[in-house]
Amino acid sequence: MIRESRFYRIVRYVILVLASLFVIIPLVPLVFMAFKTGREYTETSVLAPPANWMNFYNFSYAIRVGELGKALFHTVIILGISLAVQILFTCMVSYVLHRFDFRGKKVVKTLFTLTMFIPAVTTQTVVFRMMYAAGLVNSMWSVVILYSGVGIIGIYIMLNLLDSISKELDEAALIDGAGYFYIFWKIVFPLLKPACTTLLILNGIGLYNDFYIPNLYLNKEVQTFTVALYKFFGSMSTPFEIVAAAILIGIVPIGIVFLCLQKYIYYSLAGAVKS
Amino acid sequence: MKNKSRTKLIVCFLALPLVHLLIFSYVPILANVGLSFTNWKGVGTPKWVGGRNYQKLLTDPQYIAMFKNCLWYFAVAVPQLLLAFVLAVVVNGKFRGLSIFKGILIIPYLLNGVIVSTIFIIFFNNSGTLNAILQFLGLGNFTQQWLQNLKLVNPSIASISIWRYYGMNFIMFFGALQTIPTELYEAAAVDGCTKLQEIRYISIPFIKKVLFINILLSVSGSIQVFEIPYIMMNGGNGTLTPVIQIQQSMRDNRVGFAAALAVMVFFIVLLAIGVQKLFIKEDNE
Repeated sequence: MIRESRFYRIVRYVILVLASLFVIIPLVPLVFMAFKTGREYTETSVLAPPANWMNFYNFSYAIRVGELGKALFHTVIILGISLAVQILFTCMVSYVLHRFDFRGKKVVKTLFTLTMFIPAVTTQTVVFRMMYAAGLVNSMWSVVILYSGVGIIGIYIMLNLLDSISKELDEAALIDGAGYFYIFWKIVFPLLKPACTTLLILNGIGLYNDFYIPNLYLNKEVQTFTVALYKFFGSMSTPFEIVAAAILIGIVPIGIVFLCLQKYIYYSLAGAVKS
Repeated sequence: MKNKSRTKLIVCFLALPLVHLLIFSYVPILANVGLSFTNWKGVGTPKWVGGRNYQKLLTDPQYIAMFKNCLWYFAVAVPQLLLAFVLAVVVNGKFRGLSIFKGILIIPYLLNGVIVSTIFIIFFNNSGTLNAILQFLGLGNFTQQWLQNLKLVNPSIASISIWRYYGMNFIMFFGALQTIPTELYEAAAVDGCTKLQEIRYISIPFIKKVLFINILLSVSGSIQVFEIPYIMMNGGNGTLTPVIQIQQSMRDNRVGFAAALAVMVFFIVLLAIGVQKLFIKEDNE
């Protein structure tokens, strides 16, 4: 290990503490606000802590009126189905691209790569019309379908892992008389688990936080958590301390996932960069 | 027999994902190009209007302003990338408190647009966090109506991007730095390199490619800005961006116009990619 100079070590801590303050300071008033009463909110400074940290009125009000429980339930369903389909599809496409040579393989690969450069929003002008014609607007299936596409980053992560899975395994099974479907399902797919976890984290965070698509396609009956928060935020009649409480509730699921998976998140993201 | 089942597998595994890709990515792009020359209202037969939509976008000051707004978001990419790079460099090592700092630094990256918008409404409000801090520091003269002042609103909102997105750049830089073999650093240490020299001659050349990718992401990101100005300001008070305009035109059933704007956004992103490819090629030669 290389020795670092004392000066550098001090500079490092100064930089990190300043950066942490930069991250945390905007968050502090939000936390304070969520525990304040309406009167306190109008009368005290945003930097003043609440008088009573046990004031949970704003939270219960937000959950009740904002129907956050319902929204969370829909989010779980939408994300569950989309992520399962998306990840399975990614495994299938990657397996085919990695293990077989066939006519048009290059074209297929290029088609998947080029989508990286198509901004999703620019396709929505037409896609929205198609969904509308199919009667899927205001139904969660529109969102599920849109979320189920295979992304090139996922393919790269999978291809990387497939490189390290020996082809001899497949060939041995083939000689033993196993079919290709059986090989994929029983031998290759289980070995792709680490890459699946990576994708689950990366795309799980991405989809949970997505605002554009659910805001465009869903109405009040079925909406994701993010859009529910927005509806809350957008209605002028909601007092701001309630909004703050709702937002804090919105951070909780991310916080839990984050605390459990912190190690994997860095690993996944850094791994995705490498591929 | 084997060949047949092989073909069957390839077709089965690729069919659905490819159909999805064509329907939701390629067909819309092509259809957009066609629709952008019409005044289609979402129903009935599209009527050909030639380049009128594009002409409007390129000459009407209202729409030109919208592209100018994007420049603010691109400008903040400079401090954003710098911050991300410095943090990636200092975090790349082993020291006490590393995981705590890593945990804190990644927080903004995990928060969605609605949460970030709320946080920064509180931050920029007249009696909000920023003004309160300025008062507290005795800098009361510098307090501003950050979101009402037409000159300040765009830079204020754009600067939120630094807070929100530096984490993504940071992680990418960090990932790239991790691929540098430690022997290089050791050799540098033996030669008596200072930390700054080490950064200049080892770290920067190694992450050049990632840096380019990040710049590219910033360009394509700033032309596609949507969430923060939409949620915070509803695109009002001079904060309109192309994507907000696409959304509003779609709602008003001006599909032809929205398509023209979408095509323009697409081409700007393609242009950025082209320029980046050019740079990387030169670099390799």
